[in-house]
This record gives sequence, C-alpha cells and structure tokens, in this order.
Amino acid sequence: MRKGTIFIALGTALLLFGSYQGLFVAPAEQYMGDVQRIMYVHVPTAWNWMLSVLFALWCAVAFLFRNNMKWDSRLEAGLEVSTLLAFLLCCQGSIWARPTWGVWWDWDPRLTTTAVLLFATIGILALRSAVQEPVKRAIWSSVATIIAAVDLPIVYYSVKWWNSLHQQQSTPQTVSSAFHLPLRVNAFGVLFLMIGFIMLRTRIAAARLERELAGPPVRIGEEAGELA
Amino acid sequence: MTQGVISGGWQFVWMAYGITATAFIVYGVSLFVRLRGATTP
Repeated sequence: MRKGTIFIALGTALLLFGSYQGLFVAPAEQYMGDVQRIMYVHVPTAWNWMLSVLFALWCAVAFLFRNNMKWDSRLEAGLEVSTLLAFLLCCQGSIWARPTWGVWWDWDPRLTTTAVLLFATIGILALRSAVQEPVKRAIWSSVATIIAAVDLPIVYYSVKWWNSLHQQQSTPQTVSSAFHLPLRVNAFGVLFLMIGFIMLRTRIAAARLERELAGPPVRIGEEAGELA
Repeated sequence: MTQGVISGGWQFVWMAYGITATAFIVYGVSLFVRLRGATTP
C-alpha cells in the first residue's frame, strides 16, 4: 500500500473516531447547545486549510529558487487541496452562522478574507489549466500563489484586528477541556487526510507533466519518414 | 431560542458533517480514479 493511501486510511479512522466523540460523547455547549458540535469539523478544517496554503506557498517559493518541476507538481496538489478545504470551511461556517448569527453569510472580515483566498486559489488553478507550456505555467502560478498567500495572515489576524461577528480563534486553550479530545483527534484526522490527498494529487500532476515533457506520441515508422 | 441559549439545531450539525464527509469521499474517489488514468500507459 502506498504512503498516500495509508495517510488517507489513518485520517479517515481518526475522523470517524473524533466525529463520534464530538457528536455523541462530548457534552453540549452551555449557550450554543448542540450546534457547537459543528466546531469539531470546522476548526480542524480551518487549521489544516491554513497549513495547506502555507504548503502551497512553500512549494511556490521553492520552485522559483530551485527551478525543479517536482515543486510545481506539489504546488498544484497543495492548491487543489487548499481549495477543497476553503470551500468546506465556507460551507461549514455558513451552516454554523445560520443558527448562531441568524444569517447564512455576513461580509465579516474573517469570512470575506477567507472567501477572497478561496477564489484566488480557484483562479490560480484556472490559470494553470489555461497555460499549456509547463515552465511558463509553473512560474506564473508560483508568483500568483505568493501574491495570494499575502491574504493568509490577514485571515488569521482579522478576528483580532477588527471587532466583528466571528468569534476569536478556538484552540484547546480557549475551549473547555471536555471538548479537547474530539477537537484534537479530528485535527489530526483532517491533517492526515490532507497529507494523503496531497501525495496522491502530486503523483497525478507529476504523471501529466511527464507526458507533456515527453511530447506527443510518435507512431512507428512515422519518425523514419515512412508515412511521409 | 430562550434567554440567549440555542436549543435544537441538530439539522445544522448533520448538514455540516454530511457536507464534509461527502466532499472528502467524492474528492478521495476522484483522486484514485484520476491517478489510475494518469499512470496507465
């Protein structure tokens, strides 16, 4: 079994255990009641989304310095997985917002800056699919990723800089110890799942790149001019 | 809602977990399918 598949299996097992703990074992929160259980998937998704953006940033910088195409394959994987996590983050946040804030969406700084980064990564992926030349594609998407990643510290500090609807970051230090186990287990579950996804996606990107660099297939006899 | 306390809301909890599970499963399956297509000569 490949490493990526092992990470996915481990992540799935942890997520199943952590979600069971969060849904059926952990107590309901004093004011938010059962709705607070959304935190056990929302917060781990947020932490790992930030890690995936940092990973993509690292790959972009590494490609520009090393000029090695393996970093471009990793960048593509990081961008796609970060888009998935950002999309989930916005969906979970929206579902959380409805019963707690009374609206599905609010143009609060945390939500807005997260949405900006989601659309930025979608844009970079669209750019990648539009550019056929591999080196040009790698350079352009690396530069675009570095520019987009400037938004990440703004997302992180938005709840500290602006007094808005979104609460401060939830960490084991800011929540009751009764909530620690499902929060931590799911955090590692999403982390392992994300690592597995990135590993598999990198292999897909590397295989495509290999085909592109090899050029179009040549029919037997065509090269020698027999068909000319 | 009574005195600032949210009661009920399980439908939102299931919705959040359902969307998360569906997205992970669909993306995971798509990766295995795409990987098979990409590595098959």
